[in-house]
Amino acid sequence: MNTRSLLAMALVSLLAISCTDLEIEATDSVLTDESVGFDGVNAEAALNNVYNDVYGQLGDQANFFALNEVSTDETLVPTRGTDWGDNGIWRTLHAHTWSPTHQYILNTWNNLNQNVFRASEVIDSRSSPTPQQAAEAKFLRAFSMYFVMDFWGVAPFRNVDDGPEVNPTVLTSAEAYDFILNDLTTALPDLPATGPSAETNRASRAAANFMLAKLHLNAERHKGSIDNTDYQAVIDAVDAIAADGFALQAGYFDLFKQDVDNETIWWAVTSVGNRIWNGMHYNINAPDNAGGGWNGFTTLAEFYDSFEGDPNSNYVGDGQEERRGWVPDASNADDTNLGIGYGFLINQQYNEDGTKLKDRPGNDLVFTKELPGLQGNGEATGVRMIKYHPVNGSFTSHEIVFRYADAHLMKAEAMMRMGGDATAMVNELRALRGASPLGSVSEADMLAERGRELWYEFWRRNDMLRFGQFTRDWEFKDPASVGASFRNLYPIPINALLSNPNLVQNEGY
Amino acid sequence: MKNKLLMRLFLLPMFALLGSTVYAQISVSGTVSDATGPLPGVNVLVKGTSNGAQTDFDGNYSLSDVDPNATIVFSYVGFVTSEVSVNGQTTINFVMQEDTEALEEVVIIGYGSTTVKDATGAVTAVTSDDFNQGVIASPEQLIQGKTAGVQISQDSGEPGSAVAFRIRGSNSIRSNNNPLFVVDGVPLANDTSLELSGTTFGSAGARNPLNFLNPNDIESISILKDASATAIYGSRGANGVVIITTKSGRSGRGGSFELSSTFSVAEAANEYDLLDAPSYLAASTANGFDIAERNFGANTDWQDVAFRRATSTTNNLSYTNNYGDGNIRASFSYGKNFGIVENSSLERVTGRLNAQHRFLEDKLKLGLQASYGRTNDEFAPLSGSAGFRGDLLGSAYSANPTWPNDPDFTGTGGLTSPAALLAYTENLGNTDRILVNFSAEYDVTSELSAKVNLGYDYTDTFLSSATSAKALNVDQGAFGNGVAGVSQREATNTLLEATLNYKKEFENSSLDVLAGYSYQKFDRNGRNLSGFGFFTTQLGDMIDDLVSSADAVESQITGSYQQYGYAPNINGTFVNRLFPEILQDNIGNTTGSRVRSLFGDTFDSFDELQSYFARVNYTLADKYLFTATMRADGSSTFGDDNKYGYFPSAAVAWKINEEDFIGDNVSTLKLRLNWGITGNQDGLGYGNFLQRERFGGGDVINDGGDINIPGTSSQSFANPDLKWEETMQFGAGIDFGVNNDRFTATVDVYRKSTTDLLLRTISAQPAAQPFVFLNLPDSEVINQGIEIALGYDIVDQEDFSWNANFQLTYNENEITSLQGQFPAGTIRGQGLSLAFAQQLQEGQPLFSYFLREFGGFDATTGQPLYPEGDVQKFVGKSALPDITAGLSTTVAYKNWTLSAFFNGQFGHYIYNNTANAFFTAGAFRGGRNVLPSTLTAGESFDAAADVSTRFLEAGDFVRLQNATLSYNVPMEEDGLFDALQLSLIGQNLFVITDYSGLDPEVSVSPGGGDLLNGFPVYGIDYTAFPRPRTISFGINAKF
Repeated sequence: MNTRSLLAMALVSLLAISCTDLEIEATDSVLTDESVGFDGVNAEAALNNVYNDVYGQLGDQANFFALNEVSTDETLVPTRGTDWGDNGIWRTLHAHTWSPTHQYILNTWNNLNQNVFRASEVIDSRSSPTPQQAAEAKFLRAFSMYFVMDFWGVAPFRNVDDGPEVNPTVLTSAEAYDFILNDLTTALPDLPATGPSAETNRASRAAANFMLAKLHLNAERHKGSIDNTDYQAVIDAVDAIAADGFALQAGYFDLFKQDVDNETIWWAVTSVGNRIWNGMHYNINAPDNAGGGWNGFTTLAEFYDSFEGDPNSNYVGDGQEERRGWVPDASNADDTNLGIGYGFLINQQYNEDGTKLKDRPGNDLVFTKELPGLQGNGEATGVRMIKYHPVNGSFTSHEIVFRYADAHLMKAEAMMRMGGDATAMVNELRALRGASPLGSVSEADMLAERGRELWYEFWRRNDMLRFGQFTRDWEFKDPASVGASFRNLYPIPINALLSNPNLVQNEGY
Repeated sequence: MKNKLLMRLFLLPMFALLGSTVYAQISVSGTVSDATGPLPGVNVLVKGTSNGAQTDFDGNYSLSDVDPNATIVFSYVGFVTSEVSVNGQTTINFVMQEDTEALEEVVIIGYGSTTVKDATGAVTAVTSDDFNQGVIASPEQLIQGKTAGVQISQDSGEPGSAVAFRIRGSNSIRSNNNPLFVVDGVPLANDTSLELSGTTFGSAGARNPLNFLNPNDIESISILKDASATAIYGSRGANGVVIITTKSGRSGRGGSFELSSTFSVAEAANEYDLLDAPSYLAASTANGFDIAERNFGANTDWQDVAFRRATSTTNNLSYTNNYGDGNIRASFSYGKNFGIVENSSLERVTGRLNAQHRFLEDKLKLGLQASYGRTNDEFAPLSGSAGFRGDLLGSAYSANPTWPNDPDFTGTGGLTSPAALLAYTENLGNTDRILVNFSAEYDVTSELSAKVNLGYDYTDTFLSSATSAKALNVDQGAFGNGVAGVSQREATNTLLEATLNYKKEFENSSLDVLAGYSYQKFDRNGRNLSGFGFFTTQLGDMIDDLVSSADAVESQITGSYQQYGYAPNINGTFVNRLFPEILQDNIGNTTGSRVRSLFGDTFDSFDELQSYFARVNYTLADKYLFTATMRADGSSTFGDDNKYGYFPSAAVAWKINEEDFIGDNVSTLKLRLNWGITGNQDGLGYGNFLQRERFGGGDVINDGGDINIPGTSSQSFANPDLKWEETMQFGAGIDFGVNNDRFTATVDVYRKSTTDLLLRTISAQPAAQPFVFLNLPDSEVINQGIEIALGYDIVDQEDFSWNANFQLTYNENEITSLQGQFPAGTIRGQGLSLAFAQQLQEGQPLFSYFLREFGGFDATTGQPLYPEGDVQKFVGKSALPDITAGLSTTVAYKNWTLSAFFNGQFGHYIYNNTANAFFTAGAFRGGRNVLPSTLTAGESFDAAADVSTRFLEAGDFVRLQNATLSYNVPMEEDGLFDALQLSLIGQNLFVITDYSGLDPEVSVSPGGGDLLNGFPVYGIDYTAFPRPRTISFGINAKF
């Protein structure tokens, strides 16, 4: 054999050794054979992932929370000098001047729809979920799809087998309503009957009933009609929740502690840091958040004034009801409250040793009820809201999602809309919260009561829409948007329209 | 015999091309020498035949079968190729003349080399003689500004920071647009540098992937610009190819040492003229702010705290020996480069061995290039992602000057003190890299040679980031707890290549055929750790505790796992397993934990690339040159329907100066035309074409130290169509030289069209992921431009010479087709969340600014005016320069040489994110320091600072990048040294620009997770690490 053939042999054998089929191997992820397409997911792990996603979305100050709260008469995020300008993203929400390119509208669209798809992957029989896993996934899918329907009036749907080339079908609001109803009713028998306990962070029969009540109560908006069977379904669902052990409980701000209570139907394992610190001034701090607050979110004078009590201050003894909270002053600021109030912070704020807090330019930190506008704000404008208190931990992972007081008011509202009188039920709650009883309860009273009880719990937009008040005028709303009923729905994000030709932009955008 | 048959089948077409001629014969022998003595390794060839030899160690050669009327050609790298007529002589001794320009003439191209005169494509080589001098952290800086059509900008002045390297514009909207780097024949992976993540103030972009190379080891850098040159690299060639060749021992006859040392001093070239404490307080009073709340008593110049005068040293020792049958070069270097920002440095140790040996009468050539490099990075606490608190420089520009320089100072009102960042954060990186290339080349016949090339490229990276429990106002969870992160990765690339090369000279033409096979595998594995709640505040101990806690947990897990961790809210230690099947496990309490919460996430994947390629060069009458290439690239990152891509190219060149109708005065006149298709698969990533399930990761530990145990989710959609981006390029060029190339000019025009743009685009929801990786249908980016390079030896005398080289590139970029509009250009800072400054849209160049049109401040309210509305629009400006230019000139008089190199960029705009975030009236009200001019602009203290043209500035500049004065010490004949050179080098001596920031040549890189739509950021200055002004003294001795 000469050198040539040696060389040729070497070359040929090299080629033989190294020729590859260019397939990747399952070394750090589980691969699905392309010819098979969807092959199921691990139901337990994938379900946990959906929970984590939903928790993360609920804890965020932006996106889901912003779309539900900052767009209402309850919350605004004023631009304070250079702070919180954020390219106008907060101002347009409050002024009702958002456009189809609004980043939070897009993010929320992506987040909620992604939950729907990932839940569908768990539910699919190829993922072999246990009946309870499938039921939990159905609950999470119903929750997510409900808000897609609520925000946009449609709900796209994709089968788990469909690749990127398939354009998702688009369910009308009525179709989505039926889809959600079906998810909840088929999930109910397989969900655990968890009562008040630390385990209410996972889907339970009560949580599904709560969602059912919401669905029926808002049926007119979603499926175009509502009748007494819907209202009766609300009442039945709330009664079922009560049957699982949930009830109203006294001690309003104790409900937002990490401890087990009778009201918490569903809580999210997500940090309450955003809820606390968004509104606190830079110089308001806690031992586990020495950096202080982020000085953003406030409420409007009109909303603050809807509570009982002195309109200009909220110190102890100012005649306020329990839900408006109180602000410590020199006489009672101490370690047990860190000088930080509960509820609505107005007027002079104090340190935990009772000294007056200052703002950064050096003036006394006096939170004012009035704001000059959405822009041009100083550090102290606006009444601040705080429901979770830092003495219980600045970043505790325990945020309330569903609460029995909401269910209680839903039942009262259903009774009222069926022609009954909700006064007794409303007053039952008010008595518990240290508010004087109402003589009668009108629709407007009901909406106001829901606002006072459920502020900052992301139902405000949904409530205002149900009571037809979302397009009314309020401070800093753009005059052109007052009465603009197309703003009852958010625009389909421009990038979503581009991605799916089956989607049609909502009227008016 | 089967193998023989196979080989014949393989070789038959080539043999068919062979011709043979018979001559009358004599034998010729002799000795070849140069001015210093016998010269080994000289090629001696009978012209027009393949009959040749090389001189031995003593410079002797002998040839048989020589036609008495033949001509013998003597050639050797670095010497003038000469021809001698035999005229019947049997002994011909010859003295070679050194050719000072010879080195420039050889151009390394893909899988071979050519000469400038014979190149058909647009290829430029820069050799060590022309490299930039001074403190050179990485190889690209050696050739910055030296080559037309190439724009090299270091992202910042940080030692070892990433480099934006653009050859003929930016083609891709998503990938980093950097070229393919090939070091000694080994194509490098594009992801060998890791991003520093897990820092508490945001993450920093990846480092320069070439940091491991010692610039002093580099012989030449070839830049392949057009498609006919790069198509041989197929799906990785679209952004151009840069071939780095390290020095061999060929020039060191008899063995010689070279020692070089550089000592440098650097300082900030520019600082902001901020208010000092008295003027800060005076301005506060004047504007009605309560001094009592703003005066903390000190007078601190925070820029002095953050910046420093930094010294650096580099030392190189090399040994070269050319012993006739081979040569060897060994080198060792140590350098420590301190950055002008505190807590930043780059330490590098490298060792290299290059060896070549010829066996079997020179028929077999074995070559080895082996290098080891260790880089130790110390990263200043800087980030393009820093939010409202800013990073070290952001806080240094904005910190209240009356704060004391005390890391424990508590009166900052929630803002971050630079002192706390410097004292209580630490970010380190250690990288070991081994690059070995072994080649065996065998001359089967005088026409046919075969080569096998084996490459091994191993990188082991350890990045750590720690913020201690003492760090006030650095991050929400850090104070009182301490947080730390570690990223570890091993990247192994293996290469196997086999090529056959057939060269044949005919009567009036020559043929050069290359065919080859290449296989490359890219393995990646490693882990990311994060820890919360440390028992120590010593930063180094925190990292040790994190690693030992993770190691302890890993040792207690049986079976495979992707993730593990524990936290106060979890009982025991959770383990997330993928194999044999997905399982969320809990292994109970583990021991050895030294942190309160721990999360570990591992990864392990590989990709493969398999390619077949061929090139044919045909030269007719030494006037007409033809090149055609073809490559078939298969990649495991492509979808099943597109496993292989095919990348052809063709080029012709006409050496007009060889025509009779051209006078002798014209030494070069060559016309070149080329066409080709290349690909880009950068950024495609692992397994994006099929459904893949994995546990989610990221920032799992929350600010309170709790963990939500991650579940699994689909990582991507099945997309069998996924493939490379494709670039089709046309080009034409002309090379011109007169008076023996004393004056030369090269002009190239090109047009590149990139289609099938890869984008992480929005999924049609509902979907498993918000984004899906796909090739955008009907998408196209066009780059077209002109490159001009001029060279002139103005004075060319024995004792005095002066030359100048000028290069200029004009490039036009446009997205000619794109569905949808994509915000890009992340802006960061207080009140700037979700703000962006650029948008990708059809009809606009890449990196086009999309801003509010700023109309000054309202005279009464001081609020900003936006006459065209409070909406963002295209403003007709882009971050891409229209023109990049470089001018270098060298004057030599006797033993003195003075050279200067200027570079400039024109027509681009910079978004001054630093000013947007920090230098506004609102920032001053919030207690921050500002420029004096901030307070006189008429801006209300309540005004919002939205992104607008207020912060957009022209970025045109001219920089004296480098000036070098060197002196060759005259040597005694028998002295200790053979040569001794002393040099004084100044870098970045001045910049002429109207830009108000510190440096007009900037580009910060936010971490990958912070990029809007995944698009890279370009042209945005957010507290970039400024380029230093550096003075160096160098000594270079040969002995």
